Order: sequence, then structure tokens, then C-alpha cells
Amino acid sequence: MKMLAYSKLSNYFIASFKWITRHSVLLFLIGCFSAQAQEPNQAQKEPKSINTTTKWLQASETLAEVSESGNVKKKSGIVDTAAKWLRSKELPGDFQIHGFVGQSYILTSDNDVFGNSDAGGSFGFTEAGMNASARLSPKLQLSSQMLSRRAGQGTTATPRLDYAVLDYRVYSHETNQFGIRVGRLKNPFGFYNDTRDVPFTRPSIMLPQSIYFDRTRNLGLSGDSVQVYGEAAVSNLGTVSTQFGVWWPIVHNRDTEVAVLGKPQPGHLTREASYIGRGVFETNDKRIRLAVSGIWLNSDYNPAANDPLGPGSFQFSPIYFSAQYNTERWSLTSEYALRHSKYGNNFGTSSPLNGLNVYGESFYFQGEYRFTPKWEAILRYDVLFTDRDDRHGKRYAAETGGPAYSRFAKDITVGLRWNITPEFMLRAEYHRVDGTGWLSKLDNPVSKDTSQHWDLYAIQASYRF
Amino acid sequence: MGIEVQADNHFEIVTYPGVSEKELSVNSLRSIFSMRLKTWSDGTKIRVFVLSDDDLLHQSFSKERLNVFPYQLRSQWDRLVYSGTGQAPIKVNSAEEMLAKVANTPGAIGYLWRTNINENVSVLQIK
Repeated sequence: MKMLAYSKLSNYFIASFKWITRHSVLLFLIGCFSAQAQEPNQAQKEPKSINTTTKWLQASETLAEVSESGNVKKKSGIVDTAAKWLRSKELPGDFQIHGFVGQSYILTSDNDVFGNSDAGGSFGFTEAGMNASARLSPKLQLSSQMLSRRAGQGTTATPRLDYAVLDYRVYSHETNQFGIRVGRLKNPFGFYNDTRDVPFTRPSIMLPQSIYFDRTRNLGLSGDSVQVYGEAAVSNLGTVSTQFGVWWPIVHNRDTEVAVLGKPQPGHLTREASYIGRGVFETNDKRIRLAVSGIWLNSDYNPAANDPLGPGSFQFSPIYFSAQYNTERWSLTSEYALRHSKYGNNFGTSSPLNGLNVYGESFYFQGEYRFTPKWEAILRYDVLFTDRDDRHGKRYAAETGGPAYSRFAKDITVGLRWNITPEFMLRAEYHRVDGTGWLSKLDNPVSKDTSQHWDLYAIQASYRF
Repeated sequence: MGIEVQADNHFEIVTYPGVSEKELSVNSLRSIFSMRLKTWSDGTKIRVFVLSDDDLLHQSFSKERLNVFPYQLRSQWDRLVYSGTGQAPIKVNSAEEMLAKVANTPGAIGYLWRTNINENVSVLQIK
């Protein structure tokens, strides 16, 4: 089991090394763009943009070595120095590079999460990302992030484009802003979605699954979109930030398709124009944060030849309410979602999807306590009901013979975070779960093999620069 | 470290001498250090310099001047950096470095204990 894990790990890191090299082309291009965007009195800095990329390549090779050796503390000096050098340099176009790596070990008492986690545990959860940004002009910013994520059957370590954003700030005056963003954008919903892939910006190793499903992550994370955004002061109380846009969701993904269609189907989902928006109110001292977000997602099923399933349509329109209260040591957070899924009538009368109209409900309560700047504890109760009219799943069990407990999940989570340095974080958490409502069907294809009451233990080490 | 801490903890917001703004509201200052306000009123780029999250001056500045906890600033910067909607401030490691960077970078803004300020930077009045 250990040998297998190791060879999988080294294959993964070879793949990520190749990815880093490939991504250097993209970053080099951004670096070149930013070199064009420098101000007149910095003309003599132009040749440095090429030097920068070479040094960065060296830094990223070292990073790959660091991850491979597993002995991160020893080698971090080199990467840290390179990263600090990058950060401190006045690069043309205000060019910045940031990145992160996270490796987790997950053990479940039953059921599989991010890989085969119930047979001795799994190192199957690895995340790595690198982003670059440049201010081409005072109003124009270009940013891009590549992400590599390995988390069970629904994913591979193949790097994908996480986002590529062109942001134009149309109007800016003191606390009021207005602008447009185009490209592949992170989906703005809830408090945590737009940075969910970064270990440092999540409150725990795994986000509350009732709202931030990992099995439909690729769908939820980002999409090709045009968005307008604005920010305005609200008398002397605080600020309101809003984002609203049209997006074309990324639905062509196995885990997503199985989650939407119930099981693997021969055809595919296609993307249709969808809408997303969020408004956040924050008091000036950021003690109170309130948000409302909504999604109107459209997708059609494109049947294969001789497909038993017809060309039905699918609409998903959740609405999220979020609230957070922050003090120096405490943060209390709660989010609630009402998730409406509506299937059209063209799937074929024999399909259980035909005309399906379901309201799912999700909510969680979370408390974080900062003992010291280095140590933090978290406690959370997260509840998912796949169908609010059948909270115990009894009607589902009677109609389909599937387990009633697959229609809900109640998760109590306890965790600890240790900020060894600002760049290095260690996390450990324990989940006690009742129900399998949010499990990935790709990882757990046979529901008879799942268990209602189960535990999940996870440890994660992360590094960022 | 060579940083002198005044007994009465006085610090000032400093800018590059060429910056046209001489005074700013607290809300605008907070917007700048939250990396949401990105340009001065004359349209030129603002370049924000900060000390480490656990630096005493940074913490005093964050809590007393911005009225925001340092961890909230960090959360805000991370949200912008890792969603592609903004950039992080540039981190410096010492008061000397802060003084040098702010004095030499067009559009720069930062903060310093009063004893570390010299004539190479302008002091910004906060309304």
C-alpha cells in the first residue's frame, strides 16, 4: 500500500514538474506584457523581465524538488529567498507571482473520500497552484492561475486553467469603484467559493460540503464569464461590494455529470448561458459581514447514439445567505442555501430525472477561535438535505430502494490549525458524519457498500509564497 | 532589527514625495490597504508597502488607524490574490526597507514610526 502510494506520488510530481515548465510559457507571456506596461522612467529595467523568468524557473524547479523530497523545512530557505526576491523586486508592470502547495492524508472509517481512504488511509489529496498578475496600466489588470488537483476518481493531476482575468476599472473614487472583468473567472458565491482551492483561505481542510460540494467542484469553481463589479460606501457604516455576470459553466466533467445525472451516462452535458451574482455588506471594521449570492445555471443533456436518456434540460438555481461576525479571537460564520434543481421533460418518461423538481437545503454553523496568531481551533456543524421534502430520505428509499441515508449528511467537525511560519501551515481535523449525502458517486459507485455513520480524519501540510 | 519604538507609539502614513494627495479619509486609507482602491486621484498607480503580519508596527497600524484586525487584512489580500481580482501589497522586512521603498517608488504608500521618518518621504494627514 505504501509502495503504491509512493510511486503514485512520484508520478504526480513528475507530471507537476512538466506542468510548471509548461506554465512558464504563460507566465513568460504575462511577464512580457507587463514589460510593455512600464512607466517611462523605468525604461532601463526592460531586460530584467527575461532575467526574472529565468530566476523564477529556477525557483519553481526548487519548489518541485522540495515537494518531492518531502523535507520541506530544510529546503524552504531557497524557495523562500527566491519568493522574497520576486516579491521585493519592482518588476515592470507590477508583476507578481504567488503560489501554494498542499498535501493531505485522509483516513475514513468507511466510504471513500478523495481516493481509497477507508483501507489504511490515502495520500490522494494534493493541491498545487501558481498565479501571476500584472497591472498593464493603472486601470487594467491581467491575472492567471493554473491549478493541479488530485482528489480521487473525479480528478487527475493534470493542470488546468483555474482563472484568467482581464479586469478593467472603469471608475474609481475613494471608496467607490466600478469595473468589468472578462475571462475565466472564479464564481462569486458564498464566503469561500472564490478561493476554495487555496488551503490558506479555507477555514478547514475540507470546506463545508453541504454548500461547497467537492464532487461538483469543477462546475462550482470557475467559468467563462463576463462580470461587472462595483463597490460603494454605505453612509459611514460600511461598504457594499457586488458582482454580477453571465457565465458559461464547465459541465463537461465526469464527477459533475454523475452528480447531475445520477450515474454515468453515455452522453454529455453542454454549457448554456447562466447567471451569477453576489452582494456583500461589510462594516468598516469588518466585524460584521453579510452576503447574498445567487446562481441560475443552465445546461442541456446531449445524448449519445442509442442513448436511453433523451435530450433534457437542467436548471440549477441556488440562493445563498451568509453571515459572519469577527472579533480579535473569535469568528462565527453561518451560511444557508436553498438549492433548486429542475429537470426538463425531454429525458424520456422512463428516466427518474424526467420532470424532477427538487429543493435541497444546506446550512452550517462554524466557530473559529484564535488562541494565538499561530494556533487556531475550529468547530462546525454542517447539514445537508438533498430534498427538503424528504429530509430523512424515507420516501427516496421506498421509491428507489436506495439507502435513505444517502439523501442527507450531518457533519460535526473539529479541527486545529498551526501557522508554523506565515508560509507554512499544518492542519488536522476530525469529522463525525451521519449520512452520505455529499459523497462522490465516482469514488463510491455502489451505495450498498457505503455506511451511514462514519468518521473522517485528515491532516494537511501547506506551503505558500 | 534597528527599529526604534517610540514610547507613545506614534506612527505616520508616508507616501512617495511625488504623490499629489496630502490628506485622506480613514475610509479611503482602509480601501487602499485593503487593495481595493488602486489609483490616486490623478489616475496613477498606488503601490502599497507593508511590514510582516506579526510586526508590532503593522499590528498597531491595522488596529489603531484602520480599525481592522491584521488577520482580516490578510484574509482580504488572500481573497483578491487567489481569485485574480487584485494584488497583494509588497512586503518589506524592516523600517529601513520601508523608508527606502516609499522614498523611491512612484505612487508608494506605507507606514513608519515617527522616529524613522525623514525628509525623503511625505507624511499623509488622515482626516
